[in-house]
Amino acid sequence: MISISVRYFYEHNREDLRLEVLAGENGMDRVIRIARIQKPGLALAGYLDQLHRERVQVLGQSEISYLSTLDPDVAYQRVSDLCSAGVACLLVAKGLEVPEILINQSVKHNAPLLRSPEISSTLIRRVTTYLEDVLAPETSVHGCLVDVFGVGILFLGKSGIGKSECALGLVERGHRLVGDDVVVIKRKAPDILFATGADLIKYHMEIRGLGIINIKDLYGVSSIRQNKKIELVVELVEWQQGEEIDRLGLDEHNYSILGVDIPYLKIPVRPARDLSLIIEVAARNHLLKRMGYNAAQEFDERLFDKMTGKGWRNEKPDLESVE
Amino acid sequence: MVSAQVTIVNRLGMHARAAVIFVRESTLFECEIWLEKGKKRVNGKSIMGILTLAAAKGETLTIEADGPGEDRAIEVLVGIVARGFNENE
Repeated sequence: MISISVRYFYEHNREDLRLEVLAGENGMDRVIRIARIQKPGLALAGYLDQLHRERVQVLGQSEISYLSTLDPDVAYQRVSDLCSAGVACLLVAKGLEVPEILINQSVKHNAPLLRSPEISSTLIRRVTTYLEDVLAPETSVHGCLVDVFGVGILFLGKSGIGKSECALGLVERGHRLVGDDVVVIKRKAPDILFATGADLIKYHMEIRGLGIINIKDLYGVSSIRQNKKIELVVELVEWQQGEEIDRLGLDEHNYSILGVDIPYLKIPVRPARDLSLIIEVAARNHLLKRMGYNAAQEFDERLFDKMTGKGWRNEKPDLESVE
Repeated sequence: MVSAQVTIVNRLGMHARAAVIFVRESTLFECEIWLEKGKKRVNGKSIMGILTLAAAKGETLTIEADGPGEDRAIEVLVGIVARGFNENE
């Protein structure tokens, strides 16, 4: 399970959220495991059962002013309970004045106490967005990713099968490279996969016979993109007699990455076969399918109608209304 | 599937030329080859993949081979890294 330390969270957001550490520096190694934050209002009211340790506790105006309405002894007890519960960290919003009791207790229990000038709603949204990103399940695959007509296509296949050459052909036709050789994939809730290239080799490619080239320098900034949702997985395979290859496109196959099923095509490679053209067509076909039009299925239905004596159907689905 | 750990010994680490020497050998084998450094795992037949590891002198890699000729592959590849990619320093 992925987690980050409070220190990591602090260091990566210090500037963006203008964070400051007020107390509890010794607890900065505590871990945050859950992206959703929690508001500890009920905990301050004495109900601690649902207090989640691995979540960031955000204290806004209501929590801070509620404390001031409590009897000092009760307030002491409640704050002490909150700070000693082992929560990842306490984060005060809106740059609010922090009651001394809260500072004392977080020092005592080593509970990191942070503060940001952002108002609660903005702070919660930004912290959640950041945490969802860093805590997202991640994997990396050997392949390359190209944005073809807005469809993110992940190419897989054995080393030397021609993934890079295929990607290069697509870039030449005006499509955009996201990453080659190493593609880092993150799952964003709940069934979306986002991919980027590996940092170090971003936009570089190794083409046999040419060596390492830089796509961004060769083709300009519009030939690349930072990240892209994966919508189609294409596996390039050697052209072999007798291998099971889809000739109709009636059956849909999926490829599972991080538990998310993505439409999958297996494309045989052979010299003189213009791969980038085939991939462009695959992307167009995918766009049609996404709009609800499946050429293979439509053709099959027409054939079936003919055979059952209904004659050719004339009506075509109205693509624009489907969209 | 067999795997072995090996430490980078040459001064420059696994730089571009070293990666080429490694890949030249690894692609001779039919089996799949993977390289691991910490959480990163890359295809051992891909130069760019290996370069993303940025494996410096003193760092330890795990080489994994799976398929026909895996034992021999590990033996050869571990040897290459352990000999510092035959660089004369």
